[in-house]
This record gives sequence, structure tokens and C-alpha cells, in this order.
Amino acid sequence: MAGDPAGMNMSQQSSSLDVKEDMDTKSESEHQASKDDLIDISFCESTPLLWKVSDMKRCRSVGVIGALVGSLARQPRQNVRLGRPLELLQEEALLLGDTNTAAASLQPQDCGDEEVHSEAVRQYEAGLESSYKEQCTLALEDKKTVMRRIMNEKENGTDDSGNAIRDRLNALDQSFRFPRSAMAIQLCTARAGFSHCPEERSFHSTDWPMPRDERLDTRFCVYRDLRNKGFYLTSAGKFGGDFLVYPGDPLRFHSHFIALCISMDEELPLSDILAIARLGSNVKKTVLLCSPRSRGETGKDESVEGDVVYSSLQWSSMV
Amino acid sequence: MADRDASTDAHKHNVFEELLSPSELFEARSQSHKIPVRGQKDFLPSGSEQQRARLQQSLDEHWTLLTEERVERLGNLVKAVWIPDERLVELQSPAGKFWQTMGFSERGKQYLRPEEALYLMECGNVQVFYQDLPLSIQEGYERFLSHGTVTLHQYQVFGHLKRLGYVVNRFDPSSVPSTYERRLNLPASSLDKQRKQLKRKRSQSPVSSDKQNTSPVEKMTTQDQSEQLVHTSESPAGQTAPDPPLEESMQSADVSDRTWWMEEDVQLPAAQAQSAAPRWDFSSISFPDLGSRRSHSASLASPDPSLLPGALEVGGCDLAPWLRRLNVKQEKLSQRERERQRERDRYHRDINSDREVRHCRNWAEYLQLVEDRRRRSQKDRPVHLWEKEVTPLTQPGQCTSHRELLDQISIIKSSSLSEEVSSLSPSDQWKISFDVYQPDTVAEFKKSQPGRPYTRMCVCSFDGPVPDLHAMKQLSVQSGDVSVTFAVVDHGDISFYCFKDFRLPTDVY
Repeated sequence: MAGDPAGMNMSQQSSSLDVKEDMDTKSESEHQASKDDLIDISFCESTPLLWKVSDMKRCRSVGVIGALVGSLARQPRQNVRLGRPLELLQEEALLLGDTNTAAASLQPQDCGDEEVHSEAVRQYEAGLESSYKEQCTLALEDKKTVMRRIMNEKENGTDDSGNAIRDRLNALDQSFRFPRSAMAIQLCTARAGFSHCPEERSFHSTDWPMPRDERLDTRFCVYRDLRNKGFYLTSAGKFGGDFLVYPGDPLRFHSHFIALCISMDEELPLSDILAIARLGSNVKKTVLLCSPRSRGETGKDESVEGDVVYSSLQWSSMV
Repeated sequence: MADRDASTDAHKHNVFEELLSPSELFEARSQSHKIPVRGQKDFLPSGSEQQRARLQQSLDEHWTLLTEERVERLGNLVKAVWIPDERLVELQSPAGKFWQTMGFSERGKQYLRPEEALYLMECGNVQVFYQDLPLSIQEGYERFLSHGTVTLHQYQVFGHLKRLGYVVNRFDPSSVPSTYERRLNLPASSLDKQRKQLKRKRSQSPVSSDKQNTSPVEKMTTQDQSEQLVHTSESPAGQTAPDPPLEESMQSADVSDRTWWMEEDVQLPAAQAQSAAPRWDFSSISFPDLGSRRSHSASLASPDPSLLPGALEVGGCDLAPWLRRLNVKQEKLSQRERERQRERDRYHRDINSDREVRHCRNWAEYLQLVEDRRRRSQKDRPVHLWEKEVTPLTQPGQCTSHRELLDQISIIKSSSLSEEVSSLSPSDQWKISFDVYQPDTVAEFKKSQPGRPYTRMCVCSFDGPVPDLHAMKQLSVQSGDVSVTFAVVDHGDISFYCFKDFRLPTDVY
């Protein structure tokens, strides 16, 4: 029921688009301070966002799902499947912060150092130039291969056009033109680091720009408890609740519960309970009323695991 | 890509892991553009191998889709530059097809608003540079979205609607025509207003004190004129002219009062001018009634020179050509139409055929007649009902339809959303963010004259409060005659809600 760490590793290896060169340098980095291994959370006002696919994979391996809110690179003009960034619930960000798996990167400041900046620009442009040259070569090779293939096909045939193609092939080295506008450029999704600006990071979740109020504390308590029990949780605004609770990965399973987080001393009008129960039965999910036990009852300073009381609502008939 | 040398900063190496090498870039030109369909979900995890394999497959597909980067041909990209001071993106190469519905020109340059630029970056059409280095989409989110421009929630709604094909513009409160303008059917001069909204603050040039005094006076005079024009058009209705409609009797105000149209008196304070009554006595000036069949004079005499502005001289007017232009022919109705007219007129009494009404020479006398008649009719009412403190709400025979009757006896009057809104102050929490135009109008969409939007968007979230009546009234008045839709953002999931005005039926048909 919990996430499948073994599966995660397999998928990481099978993804072919990671740059292979940096794999060796990565093992070097593991000897460096482990602080660099943390998931990078970038805050857009008070909303935590994840940009790197490696960070998203690590999150999912600890059961943090999030929601994709950007355009998908492959097909940006549709709403069925969205792409990066991954928006995290505030509770998810808190969980990652508390378990020391993540650090927030603060707003980037402009690089004050003129020299460093112009050096960065030089490097970037040099990179573009070398990429262009390499793509030129690749394009030329590609065209030659195509022409050779056509030539082979034509030689099996009866007409004379094979000679014309052979002549063109021989002249190709001189006549081939690969304009700069034909070069392929990558529009980076996550920060590419061209500017070499030192990044400032914050490691304590109390410093993060999320307003901590009682409501967030209640929700976080419930979130942490359910997560520790192995459930996967996503947001449930459209279902009138706080969380949707899944028995397994949301990609493959339907959710079973709608969790509503209420503090122990909060008063809930009966009409609200009826409304949420009605809603739950309409969508065939069980409604869970979750309340963290107040500190006085447990006699501890901080609420620990297992401190949440759950009540489920179910319509039943009078027998 | 650029940084192959071993740097000691390990974190920096992690940053570069998502850059593609040139060979990968080259290969990416032929990458597929299809999105795989998601299969059916299971109900319970059973721990079976089949389930695990399917989960793995879904996950692999998921990561593949997410890891893909945007690779575009350099020639297809529009180059642009982010200008943080103006919070705008300036285009440096010619715009593409998106220019039809997005962006604006100013001072000879082409600009995009930050949310438009970010959307186009996500679509892979525009590459935005800042300080000579290209911005990634992450940096775009960090720099372009803020409370001063567009918040993240608002951008999510913007992107969602744009991906569906709608044309989305920022809402400008001054572009909504007021009720008065709408009644007059004035063409909206939206171009000037858009320009005014997006221009940066400029230092105000000192305005001379004379100018400040003349402008309120000029405004006041035009206001007076419009008041008087409206007034004059109403008076001939009450006057019939069996006698030649020529004599204008000059009355009351002498010439010294009629200097309002002369520009000499510049120091007139605005308050005094607005409270002054119109200076003509319309109860005594009669206007020619050309349409009525009862006037048969051939020409109009010239009007009294004191009624004319300045030194204008007007001679007599020959009525024949004007009468020819007016259609004073008798209407010839078909048999059915005549029957229908008879049905309608069965209980209709022409007020002009009433002798007593014809004897009235002006509005004051007419109102007096109406009052007298009303009092007479009330003499027959039972005293015990009508002379006490509490009187009945209506009288038998007073109402002709159910609706009238219900209106008279109703204690609570129904009100509509647009009533009593002038006293409401604008709220900080509820703001209209966008104008939305429908996708099928894209072909004829003109940025300079977008026309009436399909709806206006107000962005909120499930964490915030539900809009109350105050907010809804204020938003609907701000939006004019266009409906307001609430876009509620819940972690990337957007739901749209709108409230429709509803009137309870009061007439029985």
C-alpha cells in the first residue's frame, strides 16, 4: 500500500532523457554536504512549487503527490494533461520540511557582480555556438544517410535518377547549408543556472512564506497521520472536503474517503454534516471527519503519530 | 551544456542535469506529439503482479511526459526581453500568429503583458531574455507573477482559458460604459482608455489656473444644454395647436441672465452654475407641431430673436417641403389588422380626444386636472376604510393585470442585483481580473475594438469566503451588462460558477 521505492529506482534508470555526463559527477556530489541533496521547493508567494523531475520522483517515493499546474511540453494547448510545475499542498511542503527532505529556494536576486555575469553570458553564447556546429555536422550526416538510402533503393530500380542523386551526394559537403535559424533550441523548464548566481536556500520550514494558522496546523496533523498510515492524499476542494484519501497511488486507484479536518472544539452545524454526507454518497466515497486530539488530553508537548480521531459518516436506514 | 569542467559546487551540477545535449536536441525534432490515453483505474490494491506492472507502466509514462523538454527551431521562436521596471515584455523580433489576440503596440514597439509572455513561453513560441540570458519557465513564474502584475491563481485561470482557445484580456474598469452611455448607444472609445491604462506614470506638467477654471465651466454649459434639449422635446407632447403655432411669448428672464453661452465669464464657480434652473420658461413657449393633422398653416414665422443664441437671424420657414418629408399619410390597415386594432382599442381612450385635456395649455394645468379627477373619484370611497390611519392597498377596478395588483399589495418589493449599488464601496477582496471572449470570434477579433466580452472572470479559491450579496452586487455593477463568472482555483483544478438574476413570475398568462 505504501509507495514502491524499488519501482521508483527502476523508472529513474529507464528514463533516457537525463544527461548521462552528469551521472559521474553526481556520485562525487554525494560526498559533498548532504544539504545539496535536498528537494528544491520554489515558492510563488505562498504556494510551494517543484520544478525538477528528479525532485518530483523523490516526492512521490515518500508519498507526496501534488498537482501539475503548467502546460505539458509535448502538447501545451490542451487541458487534459498538464505538465510542470508540480504544486504542493502546504501540508505536503511542511511534511517535506519537517523530515528534512526539502529546502526552499528564496527569490533570486540579480547577480550584482558584473564580471561574473558577463562571463556567464560568454559561456552561454559559446555553448550555443558549439551546439550549432555539432547540429550542423549531425544534420549533414543525417542528410547523407537519407540520400544513400534513396540511392540504394533507386539502384535496385531501373531508371537513371540514381546517378543524379550520387552526384548530389558527392557535392553535398560543399553545397550543404544549415542556417542558424534551423538550429534546435531548448526552452528550459526548470532553472538552468546559466547566470551562475549563488542560490539562497532556507532549511527551516518556519521561515517559509506560508502563513501558519490553527487551520493549517489541524490539517497538517491529519495529513501527517494519514500519510504515516500509508494513504496517499490529494486536495479535495471540489468534493467539499480537505483531502481525498487513496489506498494506493492516485494514478491507478480511486479514492475511498473524503477527509474533512475539524478541530476538536469546533462546532459544526447539522446542516453542514448532512450536506457533506449527501455529497459523499453521491460520489460513492465515505466521508471522514478527522480531529487531532488536543494536547491536554494526550499530556504531551507536541502531537505525535496516532493522535487523530476519525469518524466516518454513512447513510443507514432505520431497521 | 556550457559547464563541463568539474566545479566544486555540487549543487550547480544538479542544476544542469536537465539540459539536453546537441545530439538530444537534434533527435528531439522528431519526437511524438501524441499524449497516451489513461486507462481505467482499479478500486482496491490487491498486491497482484499485474496491478504492480500496470502502475509501473503508468508511472513510466507519467515521468516520460514530464521529463520532456520544449525543443524549438530557433527560426520559429520570437525573441523578447523582460523589462522589470515596466513589468512588460518587449518583442525584439516580429510577432507570430499570436499577435492577433495578444500583446499591444506602444511608441513603435511591440509589448506583451507578463501573463501573456509566460503563456507563450509555455507554448514554446517566445524566448524571453533578461540581461542577455534566456529565462527558464521557472524563472518566468518567479519574475512575472506577483501581486503587482498577476497572481499565480489568476495566471492558472488565464492559462486554462487560453488553452481552451478563449481570448483573455486584463479587465479595465474604465472600459465599461456607464448606464447613461449605454442608453445613448455611444461607440466605446476603448483605444484611448487602454492607452491611458498602460502608459507609465508621467510627471504632470503644471496646469495654469485659468485652464482649471474654464474646464468646469465648459462642462457645466454642455450639461445645461443637454438638460435643456431633453426638456424641450417633452413639452410639445402636451400641447396641441389648433391655433397657429407661431407666437412665442417672451417671458421672465431678461437679457442679462442669458450670458451663459458667452465665454467671458470664466470665474463662475461650478457649484452655483449647477444649481441654477434652466433659464427659459417652457410653460409659455409653444413648439410647432408639424406631425399633427390639425395644423394646416403653410409656413412658420421667424422665432423671437431673444430665444436665439448670439446675433443669429432666422427668417420664416416654408413648411411644404418638410411636410412632404414627413409621412402624414393615413395608415391603410388590412381587415385583420383593423380587427386587431379594434380589440386593442376597445378599452383604450385617446387622451388627446378628451375635451378637458385639450383645454389645458401647459403641463401645470394638465397635472391639476389629473389631481382634480383623482380627488373626485375618491369621493365615493367608503369612509371607514379610507379615512382612517390604515388604508387599503388597492381599490376594485384600479388594476388591470395580475402583476399590477401584486405590485400594489406586495409588502416586500423584489429587487434586482443592480439596484442600490451606488452607495457600495469597492472591496479589496473581490476584483474582476479578466475579460473573456469566445473562441469562435478569434478570426474577426480586433485588439483595438474587442467589443463586448462573453463574460468577466473573478478569481478566488476554496480557501476563501463565498461571495456575499455585497460582493456580487458590487461586481455586477463594475462589470456593466456582462455577466461575471467566478473561477475557483483548487490546486490546478478550476471550477467555474456564475450567479444569474432571477425574477419570480408575477403575471398569469
